[in-house]
Amino acid sequence: MSEDGAVHGLRRGGAPLTAILPGAPQLLAGRWGAGTVALLVWLGSWWVLIARRHSLADVWAAGWDGPLAITTLLGALVSCWVWSLRDTLGPGGHRDVSVGQWGLACRAFSKNRTAVVGLIVIVGLYYVALITPLVTPADPSAQGNLLTERFLPLSAAHRLGTDQYGRDVLARLLYGARISLTIGFVAVGISVSIGTLVGATAGYLGGIADAVIMRFVDMIISFPRLILLVTIVAVFDRSIFLIVVVLGLTLWPGTARIVRGEVLSLREREFVQAARALGYSTRRIILRHIIPNALAPVIVAATLGIGNTIVLEAGLSFLGLGVAGTPSWGSMVAEGRGDLLNAWWLATFPGLAIVFTVLSFNLVGDGLRDALDPRLRT
Amino acid sequence: MKKELAVLVAVLVSACGGDARVTSNDPFCQRVLPTVEAFLGQARAANPVPNDERYGGTVVMGGIGELRGGMNPVAPIDHSAIQHHQFVNLMTLIDYDENFDARPYLAESWDVSEDQSEITFHLRRDVVWHDGEQTDAHDVAFTYRTVMNPAVGFGNPAYWDHYDKSAEGIEVIDDFTVRMRLRPHAEFLDPWRSVAILPEHLLGDVPAQELAEHPFGTQCPVGNGPFVFDSHSPSERWVFVANPAFPQGLGGRPFYDRYIFRVIPDQTALLTELMTESIDAYITVRPNQAQQIIDNPNVDFLNFRFRNFVMVAWNARRPQLADPRVRRAITMATNREEIVQAIQGGYAVVANSSVPPFHWAYRGFGAEDMAYNAASAAALLDEAGWIDRDGDGVRENADGLPLAVSIKYNTGNQERQDIAEILQAQLGGVGIRVTPEVVDFGALLGQISDPDSRDFDGVVMGWVPEFKLDDMDLFHSARTNEPNAWTGTDNPEIDRLLEALSFSVDRDETARLWAEYEVVLNEEHPFTFFYFPDRLTGVNKRVRGVHMDARGEWTNLKDWYLDPERR
Amino acid sequence: MVKYLLYRLVAAVPLVLGISTIIFFVMSAAPGDMVDIMIRPGMTAEVAEQLRANHGLGQPIVVRYVRWMVDTLRGDFGYSVLHGRPVLDIIRSHLPRTLILSLTALAVAFFSGIVLGTIQAIRQYSWLDSGLSVVLLFFYSMPSFWLAYMLILTFSLFARNVWEWPMWFPAAGMLGTDHEGLSFVARVADRMRFMVLPTLSLSLVLTAGIARYMRGSMLEVVRQDFVRTARAKGLPERAVVFKHALRNALLPVITLLGLYIPVLFSGTVIIEKVFAWPGMGTLLIQAIEARDYMLVMGASFFFALMVIVGNLIADVLYAVVDPRIRYE
Repeated sequence: MSEDGAVHGLRRGGAPLTAILPGAPQLLAGRWGAGTVALLVWLGSWWVLIARRHSLADVWAAGWDGPLAITTLLGALVSCWVWSLRDTLGPGGHRDVSVGQWGLACRAFSKNRTAVVGLIVIVGLYYVALITPLVTPADPSAQGNLLTERFLPLSAAHRLGTDQYGRDVLARLLYGARISLTIGFVAVGISVSIGTLVGATAGYLGGIADAVIMRFVDMIISFPRLILLVTIVAVFDRSIFLIVVVLGLTLWPGTARIVRGEVLSLREREFVQAARALGYSTRRIILRHIIPNALAPVIVAATLGIGNTIVLEAGLSFLGLGVAGTPSWGSMVAEGRGDLLNAWWLATFPGLAIVFTVLSFNLVGDGLRDALDPRLRT
Repeated sequence: MKKELAVLVAVLVSACGGDARVTSNDPFCQRVLPTVEAFLGQARAANPVPNDERYGGTVVMGGIGELRGGMNPVAPIDHSAIQHHQFVNLMTLIDYDENFDARPYLAESWDVSEDQSEITFHLRRDVVWHDGEQTDAHDVAFTYRTVMNPAVGFGNPAYWDHYDKSAEGIEVIDDFTVRMRLRPHAEFLDPWRSVAILPEHLLGDVPAQELAEHPFGTQCPVGNGPFVFDSHSPSERWVFVANPAFPQGLGGRPFYDRYIFRVIPDQTALLTELMTESIDAYITVRPNQAQQIIDNPNVDFLNFRFRNFVMVAWNARRPQLADPRVRRAITMATNREEIVQAIQGGYAVVANSSVPPFHWAYRGFGAEDMAYNAASAAALLDEAGWIDRDGDGVRENADGLPLAVSIKYNTGNQERQDIAEILQAQLGGVGIRVTPEVVDFGALLGQISDPDSRDFDGVVMGWVPEFKLDDMDLFHSARTNEPNAWTGTDNPEIDRLLEALSFSVDRDETARLWAEYEVVLNEEHPFTFFYFPDRLTGVNKRVRGVHMDARGEWTNLKDWYLDPERR
Repeated sequence: MVKYLLYRLVAAVPLVLGISTIIFFVMSAAPGDMVDIMIRPGMTAEVAEQLRANHGLGQPIVVRYVRWMVDTLRGDFGYSVLHGRPVLDIIRSHLPRTLILSLTALAVAFFSGIVLGTIQAIRQYSWLDSGLSVVLLFFYSMPSFWLAYMLILTFSLFARNVWEWPMWFPAAGMLGTDHEGLSFVARVADRMRFMVLPTLSLSLVLTAGIARYMRGSMLEVVRQDFVRTARAKGLPERAVVFKHALRNALLPVITLLGLYIPVLFSGTVIIEKVFAWPGMGTLLIQAIEARDYMLVMGASFFFALMVIVGNLIADVLYAVVDPRIRYE
């Protein structure tokens, strides 16, 4: 950071504010998206830190996720502060150096209010999922007294009530967030990697390889996905691993088809021709030149795919085929459905969690689609 | 375009309004169904509905699953389907009364020879099949030969262990008298309460291997019971109509005209259907739903003791579970009374053996030493050499093997999942690590029943004993290679008692033997017995005369009638 | 056109068989078979072996596969042990039930999606536009079984027992108790009453996508020259929108039809279970649970077939409404 920049920023009076409340200057400057995220993370993290100051050592000692949570929390605090400071004090404060396709898309996206709200929710969710051990009110698998602590309605001790074994629903909801978000993220990660590679290969190579691959893709796409999933998942032991992999493996043909379409049009473009003329290997052309340029629609599909996958996992749970052993939102709704009349809180809160999460992913996905499509940018 | 649309809509609408019946185009059914139709016509003409306001109406019952195998007594066994054989569409030789003693049904009377090696059944002369043919001794002989024929694959061969399976085993004395030969054994009449008689004139020439899959079962059953098969829409409903020619001596024509069994595979939907009075009875209510039914002014809540018990079977072939002391300690560390109160809402009795509490052999064996006591459980584990040697909260034996077990249960069974999850928490308290594992039902039965693998540590299962109690295939050492020998018990004392029990004819003597057996079994402790759950049912108040007990929900179906005001 | 359709049908054969093959091997690799499920008190290993032989499970998997393939190609789908009927009989009774439910849901979803999408496009960027988007997305983001339970509680249980509305809908099944004895009109009405809730739960989920697509398509069309010309001619806005724009905007929406059919069938698996609608979805799940191999194969075969026929219909529809398209 240059001396000049700092002086420049200080003169505008942002520094003191930013040092105490990162995000506030951005908020005041009208950049409410970034501002809200920074401010929320900053305040929320301090609140957690202060409220939990006595149990930090215990959390640190607990398994792999305790240290992760504390590191994440501190990391978030520091990066929030540094970012805000640099942002306020940095040259010109408001950096608009990034032009080009991604920069334009970014700007278009930030104008879409609902999409930005969605993004904020998603960032918040992943953040909470990472620091779960710090915010959870109880051990999610600790059972209460079966006679006196079953199906307790909402109270100060159990903010979202207790379930059929007297476990705290809020704690389970928080831990369930991890499973659900991981399932969505990893499954889509698998499908995007496979789909992009296969689609690009098929599109670039053409000919018989293309025909064979695309027939296979057609076959999987045209078959109702849930039915395929049910057939596979029903008959094997249901670890979270199996479910994620199977979800990923049944999703990739969609990505492959999108990528192939993009690649077909990219293949004939000048820069690819040029690369070919330079004698680069097929692998290099696909990986370095084609895929990066075909990514925009994949990103959109992936964002929407995460939401879909979370809903799909809930559907599988309903059929008794969801993740077993650890709570996921889907399995919580599915298990609570039998008690809708006597303990409405069991299914309702995880249900709402799913709805708002998936809604956020869909809003972001739609926003991205609009932002990344040059024709729709207005 | 508009015209095509109109045509399409018209087609759709007429499809909607069409006859919902699914008729079979199987040649056998094509031949048989008209005869049933004709029989019904004649029988209705010959037996006018008595002038009594109780007659008329339709009763609808809702159950969670299809009646597997339909009305075919040799097809795979489903408890609701069996009750339909016994009490709805077909007839059994004998029936049980409220005290579970045999009483005449299709057989008017029977004599047992002095040495108890022969039974002679005298059949009623006024029972006809629903196609007009007489039900006679030849049908009984045919049924006898069929269920004992290994090629048929009858699901419960244990029934016939001591019956004479040779050609001399059954003898038709005259058209309504039939004699069976057997080795005297305990409760030898019991199978004839459960296995319905088959029509020989329809099935006599069907190859044995094909009987279980014969269209007779689900497409065009022809019974001889109080209700005549009307139609079956697969996965949706069975419709039966009252049999006007049902013997007067057995109560005559049922009061209501039609009985419908609806398949509703979701318990919330079932409860809603009951509460909105769309069905009259909801079979197998979950304990969590009991309170809503009790609170509903239009519905009666019925609960009765049944034969089935829920247990965790331990695989004694596993080193962690080989010592009976470990298995006993597990039971002691489990608060079964609390589970009964909480999970079953009190609608269950803690089980300590396989003898159901309503049964005449039940002598209230309490297994007091197995009552919940975490401290003695821990002491017993210490004594057996399982001590937490490395301070990780889990006990190990001298070789360092941790006391960790997985407990399997089947997909979609909340009750069994509850047990597995609670065991995890309660056994964790005494240093046993439990991992609940959910497995698809088919896969689970494959894993636990295959004598070569027995791929499980513990499994939450249910077991439905017959009225004739028999633990042979669970615990006898000669049966360790049979599918149901989950634990692999090998205890000479248990063997001796089980053998004595199978031939003990006198009830007092038998009950004494059971009591002796329970003590030995508790010592060996192959299972952690949990409880005998009550069967819970919601019945609309407009249905009168409903009686349910351990014989089943359909026991006196033919005696129900509808409140004339609310028909 | 006919030639093209024939080509498509022939090309679909390996597709359908391919899916069935995958499912066949997955099912065969699974632990447990249909005889394991029949294990009950009293069962012996000997009886189990006999039953396996009776059901033709004794042969090696490859033999069974080849035999299944040959039989299928001959139109013989085998016998369902679970239902005690030929598989084809079962499909014949279950398939129309799923079709009627999903077609109705599809029609409702398309109709409401098109209407709502058009409204959104006309009122672009208004609160109505974004409000509708969020509301539709809200339903789209819901696990469909949860939505279904909410509908059951609201429009069945509470509507009848608590709020005592004059109109409530049954929660399960597809026919009233006395359906057989009703007049034609009453039968149709009876059927419809049972269809309301399942249709609603199925279509609410689909509407969001269709509306979104319709909105985009409409916005694109409105910018095109012929619409401007129409406006310039001084035609009233209503005529511009409904006569010129809507017609052209509808074209691309038809392509969604092919895309949504698999999604719809996935949805029926869940909705059928909640509402005890005895269709193909419930059938398949029960068949898998019971390891009724022939029925699993038959049901998945017909699922694939339905999707393909649906896609073909979408193609034909597209050709019919868009004269520019000629399939060669």
